[in-house]
Amino acid sequence: MDLKEVDVELFVNGERHRLRVGTDESLLEVLRDRLGLTGTKEGCAAGDCGTCTVIMDGRAVLSCLVMAFQADGHRITTVEGLAQGGKLHPLQESFVEHGAVQCGYCTPGMLMSAKALLDADPSPSRETIREALSGNLCRCTGYYKIIDAVEDGARRLAAGTAGGPGAGAGPAAGAPRPGRAGEGR
Amino acid sequence: MRETRSVGRSVRRVDAVAKVTGQARYPADYAMPGMRHAKVVWAGEPHARILGLDVSAALALPGVVAVLTSRDVPHNEFGLIDSDQQVLAADVVRWTGEPVAVVVAETEELAEWARDLVKVTYEPLPLLLDPIRAMAPEAPLIHAGRASNVLASWKIRRGDVDAALAEADLIIEAEYHVPFVEHAYLQPEAALGYLDEEGRVTVVAAGQWPHDDVRQISHALGLPREQVREIVPYIGGAFGGREDISLQILVALAAWKTRGPVKMVWTREESMRCHGKRHPFTMRYRWGARDGRITAARVELIADAGAYSSSSRAVVPGALSVAVGPYNIPNVWVDACVVHTNNPPTMAMRGFGTAQPPVAYEQHMDRFARALGEDPVSFRLKHLWEEGSVQATGAPVPPGVGVKETLRQAAQAIGWRPVGERWVKPDLPPLPDGRRRGVGLATAFKNVGYSFGFHDRSTARVTVDLDHRGEPERAEVFIGAAEVGMGVHTVLVQIAAEGLELPTDRVKLHVVDTSETPNAGSSSASRHTFISGNAVMEACRRALAGRTPGQRRVEAEYTFDSQDVRPTTDLDRETGGCNPHITYGYVTQAAEVAVDPVTGLVEVLRMVSAQDVGRAMNPLMIEGQVGGGLSMGLGYALMEEFKLRDDGRVRTRNFSEYLIPTTLDLPSELTSINVEVPDPAGPYGAKGLGEHVMLPTAPAVLNAIRDALGVDINQLPAGPERIWRALAAARKGVSQ
Repeated sequence: MDLKEVDVELFVNGERHRLRVGTDESLLEVLRDRLGLTGTKEGCAAGDCGTCTVIMDGRAVLSCLVMAFQADGHRITTVEGLAQGGKLHPLQESFVEHGAVQCGYCTPGMLMSAKALLDADPSPSRETIREALSGNLCRCTGYYKIIDAVEDGARRLAAGTAGGPGAGAGPAAGAPRPGRAGEGR
Repeated sequence: MRETRSVGRSVRRVDAVAKVTGQARYPADYAMPGMRHAKVVWAGEPHARILGLDVSAALALPGVVAVLTSRDVPHNEFGLIDSDQQVLAADVVRWTGEPVAVVVAETEELAEWARDLVKVTYEPLPLLLDPIRAMAPEAPLIHAGRASNVLASWKIRRGDVDAALAEADLIIEAEYHVPFVEHAYLQPEAALGYLDEEGRVTVVAAGQWPHDDVRQISHALGLPREQVREIVPYIGGAFGGREDISLQILVALAAWKTRGPVKMVWTREESMRCHGKRHPFTMRYRWGARDGRITAARVELIADAGAYSSSSRAVVPGALSVAVGPYNIPNVWVDACVVHTNNPPTMAMRGFGTAQPPVAYEQHMDRFARALGEDPVSFRLKHLWEEGSVQATGAPVPPGVGVKETLRQAAQAIGWRPVGERWVKPDLPPLPDGRRRGVGLATAFKNVGYSFGFHDRSTARVTVDLDHRGEPERAEVFIGAAEVGMGVHTVLVQIAAEGLELPTDRVKLHVVDTSETPNAGSSSASRHTFISGNAVMEACRRALAGRTPGQRRVEAEYTFDSQDVRPTTDLDRETGGCNPHITYGYVTQAAEVAVDPVTGLVEVLRMVSAQDVGRAMNPLMIEGQVGGGLSMGLGYALMEEFKLRDDGRVRTRNFSEYLIPTTLDLPSELTSINVEVPDPAGPYGAKGLGEHVMLPTAPAVLNAIRDALGVDINQLPAGPERIWRALAAARKGVSQ
């Protein structure tokens, strides 16, 4: 099998990688198999499920549909790049605390779609969040807790309260759904 | 209720941080140096005799290490209950997803290429895709040597149904149909097989019942059980679909034959095509009432087993046992059978036979209420079980019956108002856009744990480090309970922490490795909180009770056996008489829908779920289960159907053809209410809920659609076309 190969330069989670990749290799394959970043998952390899979502130059993309050579010279963020200096990103915190994680397989893709949304729109409505996550399938949660978590993540980011009140203990039983982004600021 | 510090609190999931950072590893994330890759040659033909199998071209390809066929399998059989499936098909294939050969190569691409070079010659055999046709005496046999294609049948005979129907002043009859459903877990099947440092055949895979996987792998390979080991890391959802073996034996075989690490990852298409499905049912309901009460229920259930038996022998009796709902009906006649076809084998899926009957019995309850001029809430309340009620099989209902309260709470939350003895439906005028609104509810129930005399066992081992005063400092829990996403590890940590009076972060629970963690049984039947929770609780108690002065570490192992506490018995062949189940959880859900009468498109505007869980061990995780159950139930109600073509090949091959709910399909408003009527045999009174929370969703939505449009939809899914046709038929005065 003589695959055509090309040299690419990828900037993944702030690190530069120079690689020779096959022209039929997807970004997902390169991230997982070549760079060992297995946090990004494959769910369908056809762009239907969103589990392989990563951020490329600020936009959420399906890494199973992006060829590795198309990512040449671009900045990629994967789930491994969210936490900084051993400290969870506010979205990761809010996912943990709101019970947005069950089996966890859709979680990395959800987080990346959510981050791309909040980077572009820091205080989205619940409806906007629903729209933004509509390409990410989840079979476990019914999405409610994920949407709650993104709403709260937006508040945390905006208020800069990551790691502040509420970050230590889980929400109390029957805690009311967090208010819409923008409240209490 | 006892004061607790861990149990009953929304403790943060023990696996959440690993899952949000991408550190949690699922089977496809494992790799080893020198690892080879394997691909399966699938049958493709739904029913055919294998005339020839030529692997020479594949073997000749440089980089191909081995092509394994049935001749390489020492005992070429496996199966959860019956060993009726072939690891690799030897002579006949009975459905398209049957493996015929495994190709092992240096790279995945090479394995794929070589797979296409394997030549299999088939002689087509008669195709049977409809269980009603397959059960006819003259139908060709799918399994030679059997008397018929009917795998098994069961019945319940209570009272005198014929006499009661003859005396009834109202009889309502309907036939309901529910389709094949795909589990659609997000993680496709994947496994890594290798020989460990002790030479044991080791498989890293996502199995719901790791110890039973080992039983089946070791049998097929002809190895002693201690020579086989399964490690279960994180699992990307299961819902019953990983209770059967999928690729575990194939990967174990490949590693064992090539004496080195082998990885196999299924594509989404392979996952959808090549693992089992939820049973489709035809359900014929003929019930009678007299003086405003249901006096007779005659039910026929016909289920499609697909090509192999899988867990059909357990799923269909489950359906039989719940066929008339949690209602007091004096005369009951139920026949249930399950029939082989050339469809995918049908297997465990969330509900395990108890998800199909509510689609029938809850629409039937509404039909009776309407015909009798009663409201659906008080009509149900008149018939629902209470403590001490007697089941159709003759046994008293296990203690902890909160079903009436779930109905009252759900009805009230969606807008029904109790007025005297009656309940008044909320007034829902059409929306300004012309869509009609409707409201509906449904009640359902399900057993927790394994049934019909099965010894439902779980073993836990607990090691506790003690401080100088002999008080617990930290603990480790060893239990082979696969975490499929529902949160079992967190709940078991809570139970251990409670029993040892430790904070939850001082309790470590080890992931499943069958060589180190004892058998906890399957992650199914909503059973771990009750069964494994009891095992952990008692192991902790025994560890502490065994302390002696000066001791710094104590350990105890305990096996909980349901038969010691709440014995069940098998169905009597003639009457169905038995004590079927350990305990029950109950759920009522209510839905408000808006339906476009022009297109038939349904939007679920809001839903309520009220569940009697016995004790809410972790309220936040329960809300998560409710959301997920609702989502799966809505998919069942409105959009999901795994379809085959007339030639037996799969039509719905991936997520663009098999649709599951997205964020935009769920109602924006969900209210979840926990009703806590404890079962004294459950840990802290807990029962179970993982499956229960999807059972009433579909009938609640169907009843709401009926309320909005005035037409009955007797077949799932209630997609726009089906609703549009029902409306068109109603306009012409034709009944559906």
